[in-house]
Amino acid sequence: MKLLTHNMLSSNIKGVTNGFPLGIEAEKVIERSVDMNPDFLKNMFSKIEWKPLVEASRIMGYSDLPEDVPDSSVLDSEEFLRKFHHALLEIHLEEGALVCPQTGRKFPVNKGIPNMLLHEDEV
Amino acid sequence: MSGFKTCGSSNLDTSLLGVESIAREEQSVPASPILKECVASSVQSTPEIEKKYVHRVYDAIAPHFSSTRFAKWPKVATFLNSLAPGSLILDAGCGNGKYLGLTPDSVFIGCDISAPLVGICADRGNEVVVADAVNLPYRSGYGDAAISIAVLHHLSTEIRRKKAIDELVRVVKRGGLVLITVWAVEQEDKTLLNKWTPLTDKYVDEWIGPGSPRTRSSSPFSLGSSSSFTLESIPEAEENGLKEKLNKFRDSSSAVKGSENGLVASEGQDHFMDFEAGEEGESHQEYFVPWHLPYHRAEVSGASVGAVASGLAKKDDKKGAIVYNRYYHVFSQGELERLVSGMKNAVVVDRFYDKSNWCIILRRTE
Repeated sequence: MKLLTHNMLSSNIKGVTNGFPLGIEAEKVIERSVDMNPDFLKNMFSKIEWKPLVEASRIMGYSDLPEDVPDSSVLDSEEFLRKFHHALLEIHLEEGALVCPQTGRKFPVNKGIPNMLLHEDEV
Repeated sequence: MSGFKTCGSSNLDTSLLGVESIAREEQSVPASPILKECVASSVQSTPEIEKKYVHRVYDAIAPHFSSTRFAKWPKVATFLNSLAPGSLILDAGCGNGKYLGLTPDSVFIGCDISAPLVGICADRGNEVVVADAVNLPYRSGYGDAAISIAVLHHLSTEIRRKKAIDELVRVVKRGGLVLITVWAVEQEDKTLLNKWTPLTDKYVDEWIGPGSPRTRSSSPFSLGSSSSFTLESIPEAEENGLKEKLNKFRDSSSAVKGSENGLVASEGQDHFMDFEAGEEGESHQEYFVPWHLPYHRAEVSGASVGAVASGLAKKDDKKGAIVYNRYYHVFSQGELERLVSGMKNAVVVDRFYDKSNWCIILRRTE
C-alpha cells in the first residue's frame, strides 16, 4: 500500500463520523522505485491532506517532507517534487495494519493489500 | 446545473446517513410496505445471493477467470484516454485489474470485494485494496475519475445499485467523470440467453425479496400493472426490432449529447417506453449465468471440491468442467438513466449501448 492510498482510505464502520486518517502499524515497509510523473504530483498536491501524509511518512521511516503545508509554489522545486513523489508512491506498507481513529478497529495489510471489508455488525 | 435529485449527499460521511437518505427517498415513491423492511436491513449488508453466487464464485474461479480476462474494451480505453494526463483513476470492482495502468500517464487505484482477484492485481504490481463498491472506504473527492466496469449487474437490489453509483460520484472531485458499464438484457448474441438460467420466482422471493428488483423496476413510473414496464422480451426472430430500438436509442442519445439541462433522463425514458410498452411476453432480468471451470483448472483451486460438495457448483462430465452459477441482474434499456435521474450532484454527459452493455458517463457537479 502506497501512502497515496493511505491518504484516501477512511474507516467506514457504522457510526464512525471521522474515519480519517487511519493509524498505521508498520511491520514491514518496502521501497519500490517508480517513474516520476510531475503532472500527477501537481494534480494531487491540492487534494492531499498534508499532515496525515507527513505523519504516515514518518511512521514508515521517511522524515524529509516539510512539516507544515507548503505553499503551492514549492511545485516549481525539483527537490520538493522528488520528496513528494517518494513519499506518495515509492514507500509501501507491505505488512501491518491500518487502525480506525475512532474505534481502534484494525484493518490488516498483508502482501501490501489492505483489507477494508467490514464485518456484518459493522455495516 | 440540473434537476437531478439527491440520493446520498456528496459529503456523505457515515454509512448511516446514506441509508437514511435513501430510505427517505424510497418513501416518496409509491411502493409496497415490504420495501421499507428491505431498506431497514441496511443497504450495505451484503445479501446472501451475492455472497453465495457472486463473491464465493469469483473467489473460487479467480485464476481461471483472470486468465480469460485480457481483452480490453475500446470504449473504456477511449474514456481513460480522454482524461487529463496525471489523473488519479479509481476502479471500483476492478476484477483482475485489466484496466489498471491502461493509460501510463495516469495513476490507478483498484478495489474489489474478491481477495483472490485483488491478489492477482497486486502480483502484477497494481495498487489495490479489498473493499466493497457499495460502501467505499474512501474519503470524498479524491479521485479525478472513477470507473465501474461490469460490476453493478452483480448487485441484487436496486438500492444497492443506486448506492454503488452514489459512491462512485462521491469519491471523484467536483467536475470528475464516472464511467459505468453493465450487461444489457438486449444481448447482441441472443443464443447466450439460452445458456442463462432465469431465476425462478422462488429465488427472487427468497433471495432478493419481493421489494426488489423486478417489482421495483416498475414502481417509479406508476404505470399500474408492473408488467407494462418490466422490460419485455425481444422475440428472437425479430433482429430488426432490436436494431430499430438501438437506432432509436442512438438518435435520442446523440440528440441529448452536450445538453446538460437536466431533462436528459426523463425525456429519454419517455421515449424508450413508447416502444417497450407494446411488446408481448415478459423477459427476465435476474439470471444465473454459468461459469465453466475446466477440471484441469479446478484442481488448482481447492475451493471447487468444497463447492461441489456443498452444492454451490455442479460437475459436468460431458464438458469436463465444474459449473458455477453467477448471479446477474441484467439492465434494461433506460434503467441506468432512471437510477441516476434524481441525483443532485451529478449530470449525465453521455450514454450508449455497445457490445451488449449499457453505459453511462456522469459528471459530478458539486
